[in-house]
Amino acid sequence: MTESGVGASAPTPAVSLRGIDKRFGAVRACNSVDLDLHRGRIHGILGENGAGKSTLMKMLIGLVLPDGGRIEIDGVERQIHEPMDAARLGIGMVHQHFSLVDALTVWENVSLGESGQLDSRSIRNRVGEIGEHYGLEIDPDARVGELTAGLRQRVEIIKCLRRDPSIVIFDEPTSVLTPEESHQLFRAFRDVVAAEGRAVVLVSHKLGEILEATDDITIMRQGSVALRTLTEETDAPSLAHAMVGRPVSLRAEGAALGLTEAVADDTPDESKDAVDDIEPPVLRVEGAVATVGRGTRVLDDLSITVRPGEILGIAGVEGNGQRALGDLLSSLLPLARGSVTVDGAEVSTSRPGAMARAGIGVIPEDRHDSGVVLDMSVAENLVMVDPGRCATRGVIDRGRLHDNALRLIDEFDIQCSGPDAPLWSLSGGNQQRVVLARELDQGPRVLVASQPTRGLDVGAIEYMSERLRAAAASGVAVVLISSELEEILDLADRIAVMYRGRVVGEMARSEVDIERLGLLMGGAAA
Amino acid sequence: MTSRAARYLALYIASIAVALSASVVLVQATGGEWRTVLSALLDGSILGPGRWGQTLGAAAPMLLVALGTIVSGRAGLVNIGQEGQLLMGTAFAVYFGFRIGGPGPFTIIVLLVFGALGGAVWAMIAGGLRFRRGVPEVLTTLLLVTVAAQAIAFGLKNQSLLLASEASRGNRNQVSAQLDPDSRLPVLRLFGNEIPSAVFIAVGLALILGFVAARTVWGFRLTMVGRNTRAAQRFGISQSRYGMWAMAISGGFAGLAGAVMLAGGGFQFGNFRLVPGFSANIGWTGLLVALVAREKALAAIPVALVFGALRTGSGFVSSTGVEAEITEVIQGFLVLALLVPPAVVFLQDRRAARAMTKART
Amino acid sequence: MDFLNAVLDIFTSESTYVNAALFGGLLLFAASGEWIAERAGTINISVEAMLLAGAFTSAIGYHLSGSAAVGLLAGAVGGVVIATVQAEMSHRLAADQFVVGLTLNILTVGLVGFLDRQISTTTQKAAVWEVPLLSDLPLVGTALFGQPWPFLVLYAIVPISWWLVFRTRWGLEVRASGEDPQAADVSGIHVNRRRRQSILYAGLTSGLGGAFLIFVQIGRFETGIVSGRGFIAIAAVIFGGWTLRGTVGGCVLFAGALSFRLSLQVLGYDQINSEFLQALPFLFTIVAMAVFATRVRPPSALARPFVRGLK
Repeated sequence: MTESGVGASAPTPAVSLRGIDKRFGAVRACNSVDLDLHRGRIHGILGENGAGKSTLMKMLIGLVLPDGGRIEIDGVERQIHEPMDAARLGIGMVHQHFSLVDALTVWENVSLGESGQLDSRSIRNRVGEIGEHYGLEIDPDARVGELTAGLRQRVEIIKCLRRDPSIVIFDEPTSVLTPEESHQLFRAFRDVVAAEGRAVVLVSHKLGEILEATDDITIMRQGSVALRTLTEETDAPSLAHAMVGRPVSLRAEGAALGLTEAVADDTPDESKDAVDDIEPPVLRVEGAVATVGRGTRVLDDLSITVRPGEILGIAGVEGNGQRALGDLLSSLLPLARGSVTVDGAEVSTSRPGAMARAGIGVIPEDRHDSGVVLDMSVAENLVMVDPGRCATRGVIDRGRLHDNALRLIDEFDIQCSGPDAPLWSLSGGNQQRVVLARELDQGPRVLVASQPTRGLDVGAIEYMSERLRAAAASGVAVVLISSELEEILDLADRIAVMYRGRVVGEMARSEVDIERLGLLMGGAAA
Repeated sequence: MTSRAARYLALYIASIAVALSASVVLVQATGGEWRTVLSALLDGSILGPGRWGQTLGAAAPMLLVALGTIVSGRAGLVNIGQEGQLLMGTAFAVYFGFRIGGPGPFTIIVLLVFGALGGAVWAMIAGGLRFRRGVPEVLTTLLLVTVAAQAIAFGLKNQSLLLASEASRGNRNQVSAQLDPDSRLPVLRLFGNEIPSAVFIAVGLALILGFVAARTVWGFRLTMVGRNTRAAQRFGISQSRYGMWAMAISGGFAGLAGAVMLAGGGFQFGNFRLVPGFSANIGWTGLLVALVAREKALAAIPVALVFGALRTGSGFVSSTGVEAEITEVIQGFLVLALLVPPAVVFLQDRRAARAMTKART
Repeated sequence: MDFLNAVLDIFTSESTYVNAALFGGLLLFAASGEWIAERAGTINISVEAMLLAGAFTSAIGYHLSGSAAVGLLAGAVGGVVIATVQAEMSHRLAADQFVVGLTLNILTVGLVGFLDRQISTTTQKAAVWEVPLLSDLPLVGTALFGQPWPFLVLYAIVPISWWLVFRTRWGLEVRASGEDPQAADVSGIHVNRRRRQSILYAGLTSGLGGAFLIFVQIGRFETGIVSGRGFIAIAAVIFGGWTLRGTVGGCVLFAGALSFRLSLQVLGYDQINSEFLQALPFLFTIVAMAVFATRVRPPSALARPFVRGLK
């Protein structure tokens, strides 16, 4: 079955993939994938993290070469060896990260990768035109490094649309948007598609988005196509089933699947509210103010308190200071004003390792950035907080190091070739387990989990959620920072919304009102 | 042998062969005879009487410089100012060595200690600028080399600093006084060779460094700082503290190299005097040794030997009618050739590794 | 009083400016190329080797043809050869650019020294071309407009370098490669190719700089003809905060200091000792970097090799 459900008189697909194969070493990222994309329709590619959808799109865009199979553009077979080829064929992608150069201006960034003379005036004009047409106004001479995440996405979109692509691919675009902005974006898809006869592809791991925004759906699971259907002919449970490969309880796993409604409707366990108000908070951040670069405030009078056994969910659109909060609690960001106290004792924000010593464990947003050392072994990564534990008089005892690692590998079910395996040889999910193991092994008073399930497949997401709940149940104060609302709604007892470096509203889980949350996330007054 | 080791071996053999062939071609093309050049090299470095000792004497300071470079490299710092740190170390050794009196062995200790101190201080200037003001150390260490050379030249014009008194320097300008025979590093006489004790110092330190880097908590933390400073900071390892220590040790090793060249180098290095051109590129060569040995302390030992042999061998080459500069050319070709195998393997590994970790968007 | 008079003399004598122009011309040839290479994210300490190779090949070129123009071309070729090794090894084979640069310096000194004894070249300075009117300007007239004609090439190189970086697409891609190679790569730019090309450009200008040494400043080849000036050129780029204006300023400043010292020596003044003046460009640069550290910013990816997939 090759047609994606459109009628027999359908025109030639804009893009036709046949039998696409891609292998990375022993891993099969794409397994004989067939896909058709039609003009005038919005195609959703749904799949959990690691299912192969990103790799597939990267082949269309020229960043990855397929090992086998055919790509046809408007019925003609094409070779796409590099981004230039894709651009010439009219394929454009709005990237999530890594496509804009901070030091250059908007118009310079928009024209990166094109060929031909550099005519700054005409490019600037074009930026203005496109901006007006799609409601994406932006100053062409602004320096990209000084823009907010939402504006940067605008630049990405303009950069993509400038080439007048017939096929526009959006790769997980909503993490930098509030719920309302996401709806707006999906409406804009309609304009782009219908009015102009382009094909739009929305790549996402969120079921809810796909159901809302698309006409056709292709579900990928472990490198293969698991389901092809029209959006109007399917529903959440079927999609969920195809995504994961087994019957799914939307109640229980809705969060992992990106289904806001399922999770929001879920009446939380009453006992969550009864978290002891009597117990004093473990972690108190008061009036935190921190600046970077030329005085931009990343934290602007931020205050939070967390009690033992409580999960505080920090919601908010990416780029509103969440990373700074994570860095603060990792001793990576000093405060200009304000304080951090753990169990009543103030912790220095400018001394390396002070937070860790005070009992704050952290699962960082980007483990490669501050969570692990890729070139060191699993065993070494597991003792990083306190290598002295496996040493006598400053000399590391190899035996103790090894045993410690074996213990944790077993307890946390870390898949690796052994304690001496270099960390880079582990999969993302297992690397995350190493971080989790190490942090929990310290018996922390506070556990900060920053975007902990990013990039993980459903199974790994569920494991992580279980562990976080277990930690809270054993009395640890958990701070869950996430831009995925589903995750927050699933796990948190209390929710605080961050906007521009401060908390703009708080509510208990039982009182959650999605609309209000969305407004707060967008900066509207509480 | 694993396939990986086999790949390395094949690549190394191939690239060394290319380098040596290019050298042969150069020699032949300019009228020389490569066989005589080769035998001169071998004579000069190992076969001739007493030459082994000389080669070891040249290799020892190179090894010391290389060890220091390995330490700063571990901490993620790029120190390319060893030449200057070496000179400063020697200057300190000369200045304090001649002013602090005492019996011979005591003076030797003073020389070595102040030598290391001088190099450490010089490197810490770059370290301070890096950790206080964010100035990249690759630039400051490089610039400080010329500053050091000029400072030494200045010092050698002033008796209050480094210049010897008229009486003790004869009709030479710009030289320091000569060390007394009992203030010199002892040599071990073995099979007709004079093996400077610097060799044992250097090898001993290589072994110690290898152990410390791989087995101690301090070494562990140093490695963390070099591989991921943010993670290290999270775990209480201050980049500036460990970095400054690394720079100090790195400069200290270079300074120590200068001190052993002064106190034990004999005719190879100024004959126990600080003279213009004293450093003889040992700093640069030591840096190359560290880089060719891929920052492994134990591997630096044989590499230093090869470079040392080239150096001492070159002395005999000019008598064959071929210019002595040919050894620098051979050295250059060899280093370039030796850079190729790790680079190729690295690129191949990179492709394989990316297959195993799942790439994020 | 005496000393002050001497200083005044120096500032009002034409020869000071001529010397400064000669020193500065060499620096600027090398620095305008290295500026682009550093904007692309590379540091090439092999500039020293490029200058030396350029000087040597230009001497040979003149020797074989009798023409300074051929000599200039030959010089450019010499610089490009060195640059090719640097570029290919560091940005195709991913070898450490500092090791490669350092090795090239040592190798070139050895090679040139070796060959120089085999081949003897006779060269001379090129003919002087006086620019009408401008060369009559007081003090600076001869220095800037009355030199042997290869000096005038500088008036083309500097604006061309600026134009390349800021008015062409190539330049935009070079800048992107130096600031954020990952983003540039994803946008379809061949990062390492741009880096290699900018190093080749540096080789071209430095090779011409080597020829400048022969045909404008010294007149004949000697093995010590460069001795460290390549490093001063790199210092000028850094001192100038990676802007072309600043680089030119740095070259002028450093050349001025060198010329000043030379004049002092000629007049018999050793008050400001020569070692200090020799070290001055380097000290200046270190101090400037320390003082302006927070305001001046190198290209973000400077000295960091780019391999796709590696962060």
